[in-house]
Amino acid sequence: MIGTLFLLALLSLVLLCSVQVARCPDLVHSVLWLAVTLLSTACVLVWLAAPFLAGIQIVLYTGGVITLMLFGVMLTHRDATAVVPNPIQRPAVALVAAVTLLAILLAAIWRTPELAPAAMSPQHEVTTLQIGQVLLAEQLLAFEVLSVLLLAAMVGAIVLSRRKDP
Amino acid sequence: MIAGDLRVFLTVSAVMFCIGVYGILSRRNAIGVLLCLELMANAVNLNLVAFARFSTGTMGQVFTLFAIALTVAEVVVGMALVILLQRTHRDIRLDVAEEMRG
Amino acid sequence: MNAVELAALTVLAPLVVAVFLIVAAPVRRNGVLAPGLSVLGSLVSLVGAGALLLRQIFGLDPDLTVERQWLVAGGETVARVGITVDGTSAAMLAVVTFVAAMVQIFSLGYLSDEPEEDRGRYFTWQSLFLFSMLGLVVSPNLLQLFACWELVGLCSYLLIGYWWRKPSAAKAAVKAFWVTKFADMGLLIGLVLLYYHTGAFEWGPGAVEQLAAAGSDPEKTPWVLPSVAVAGLMFFAVMGKSAQFPLHVWLPDAMEGPTPVSALLHAATMVAAGVYLIVRAWPLFEAAPVVLNTMAIVGGLTALLAACMAIIQTDIKRVLAYSTASQLGYMIAALGAGSVLGGFFHLTTHAFFKALLFLSAGSVIHAVHTNELSEMGGLWKPMKLTALAFGVGAAALAGLPLMSGFTSKDLVLEGLYKAASAPQPVLWFPFLACLFTVGLTSFYMSRVFLRAFFGKSSRRAYRAHEGGWSMRVPMMLLAVPAVAAGWPVATFAQTTGLFEPHIGLLHFTPVGGIALGFSVVGFAVALMVHASGGSGGMVSALSPLGDLIRLSLVDRAYDLAYRQALNIAAGVGWFDRYMVDGVVNAIGALTLLLGRWSRHLQTGRVGDYVYAVVGGLVLLAAWSQMISWVVL
Repeated sequence: MIGTLFLLALLSLVLLCSVQVARCPDLVHSVLWLAVTLLSTACVLVWLAAPFLAGIQIVLYTGGVITLMLFGVMLTHRDATAVVPNPIQRPAVALVAAVTLLAILLAAIWRTPELAPAAMSPQHEVTTLQIGQVLLAEQLLAFEVLSVLLLAAMVGAIVLSRRKDP
Repeated sequence: MIAGDLRVFLTVSAVMFCIGVYGILSRRNAIGVLLCLELMANAVNLNLVAFARFSTGTMGQVFTLFAIALTVAEVVVGMALVILLQRTHRDIRLDVAEEMRG
Repeated sequence: MNAVELAALTVLAPLVVAVFLIVAAPVRRNGVLAPGLSVLGSLVSLVGAGALLLRQIFGLDPDLTVERQWLVAGGETVARVGITVDGTSAAMLAVVTFVAAMVQIFSLGYLSDEPEEDRGRYFTWQSLFLFSMLGLVVSPNLLQLFACWELVGLCSYLLIGYWWRKPSAAKAAVKAFWVTKFADMGLLIGLVLLYYHTGAFEWGPGAVEQLAAAGSDPEKTPWVLPSVAVAGLMFFAVMGKSAQFPLHVWLPDAMEGPTPVSALLHAATMVAAGVYLIVRAWPLFEAAPVVLNTMAIVGGLTALLAACMAIIQTDIKRVLAYSTASQLGYMIAALGAGSVLGGFFHLTTHAFFKALLFLSAGSVIHAVHTNELSEMGGLWKPMKLTALAFGVGAAALAGLPLMSGFTSKDLVLEGLYKAASAPQPVLWFPFLACLFTVGLTSFYMSRVFLRAFFGKSSRRAYRAHEGGWSMRVPMMLLAVPAVAAGWPVATFAQTTGLFEPHIGLLHFTPVGGIALGFSVVGFAVALMVHASGGSGGMVSALSPLGDLIRLSLVDRAYDLAYRQALNIAAGVGWFDRYMVDGVVNAIGALTLLLGRWSRHLQTGRVGDYVYAVVGGLVLLAAWSQMISWVVL
């Protein structure tokens, strides 16, 4: 019972922080709210028996991406004003679009009988060892291709953000 | 009951995704758009892990791992683009970049 | 090494050199390395081919063919590549590699004044040519032979156009290319026909049987027998490659290339590829007597006409070019009469003495810087070795006894005589034409020899001198087989499996005696003309005949056909411009209009694109839900 309450609180936190990311008028605050969202999502992942992914989530997202975002904000807003503006345009139209999509998605989720608890129940847990074995055996090619992709992204980022003067 | 119901997690994921969509549509700042993109990617990851929990096999989590790596790559390139935008237009509001008008 | 490895080494050594020179540009531009490598490649080939020939002569190797899959379609091997080693290919390999090595060494001196880069290009193509020719010789089937056949044509084009900045050379290269390609269509169609009927590209007796079976099928009566069609089409290609009337027009123009090229490609080897094709695919030709008779007549006609043309030329290389066409006519006529030995043996000896003639002519041209006979004269004194070499070549060509040309020409004439009195009355014409041509040959060769090396010394002759060792040595080496290649005719016949019991050492027949008479008469006439103050009067007296042959008939006919083709082309062009292009332009305009309208969709604002993506997503999700609702 306490576990359920805790989960509900966690999920609510995720959603609240998400809303803050999307509507907060200060960009730096948005980034920080995103950090909280990602951290709380990591907790949900632990709940979903994926501790390894939760760790990755914290290291990569909260450690890497959020830092990168903050760097980006600082590099693009070098004047020392306290608030970095993050204006919103046509919120009503955006809201309508988002709600429409949400309605369709929710309908799909709740009207599909295969997703009901009667049909779906938690299965055995996946260990990190198994993930490692799959990554380096069955999915080795995808793993290697992914490393090439990351290299390409790195090179691309360097080329894009390099100063043009020789 | 709640913890054993896949649909709860899917709903949270869908809501988070739609919040991301709303943010992308309404934000004018390029970094703001990137943040909301992250939100959507996060929702997708949550979705994948939830399905992985409720079915057998390791592929769900491995797939999520790949998705996370791809998202990181996307953020890196996106950030480089933002910095490029700043350098060429002295502004990172997306509506200043409309050279591709047909 | 076994025979096949040896043959592979022989064939592939020049290829390795050629590919290396094509790829490694700095080496190619090096004036020492590129020629050195090329000569090295040809020498390796020469050693390999010589070893192969010796082993064949002493019967150490059985005839064998090694093949690999090449084209596989639908689980079935359509084509194969491979190497055939037997007496025929070994003999041809030896001839080709020997002449090629001599010519390449000669080129070292002949082209020593050329820019290094051009020389590198020259030797690259020379190596490529040598590979293509050797590949043609060892072909176990017609498809590989065809590929190599086209490759040697390409090399011929490239080498004729060596001085491509000269408009006449560029034009000659293109002319040679088009005329031979036009003829090659015959080989291509013949190949397709052969494959259609037999399901393979073989030329053995099995293919002949299948062709005959296809011809005797009562269900389908073809308007021409398959065997005749295949052989005839292949002979058409031979006419182009081996410069037979009326497709000989490219050969004299091909003399625009460097003289060593003329010696190797347009005298000794490439033009002989046609003859070699007939020798190789002999079962196919043998099965079509009509084609054989046509061959004999075309060969005899070419021998006679080209010899007439040779008489009136004033350019030393063009004399030799027409002489080549004439001698190829001999070979074709002999084959047409059924004397494979005569045709093939004449090919071998001709390769030696004609290459020798071209090289010594090249030596003369190198010394006096002109091709015109009238500006030579009196070259005996400064250039004794060249004069001797040319004399040996001319004697062999004219068919003096003990010379190689005598034996082979004797075999040709004997074959023609036997076939004509078999009796095949239609073959009397080629026999008589060839017999008479012996006299003409002797006459024009004597004329050139006397004109260039004796008589009044021209202004240029005073400054003339022999070339370096690289030009003298090949001439000396080539003179040996030019004299002696006729002696081991019995061995040759035995090795190539064409032995006839009456052939002994130093073959001689009554027919050859008559030919010798003609030859002597020709020489006497030439001497008389020379003594009476040069052959100028003779040339002017005979030139209307030449004009008749050259301009009035052949070139004018080509001209006419060409103009007609242009008229048709103009009509096609009109249709293309206004009908086809009209449709194409209309489509283009429509596309432009659509684009002009739809470009407004592209606002360039990222926000709008995001809306489009989300809109698409919503539609997609809604659609999938609608489907599930309908289904549920």
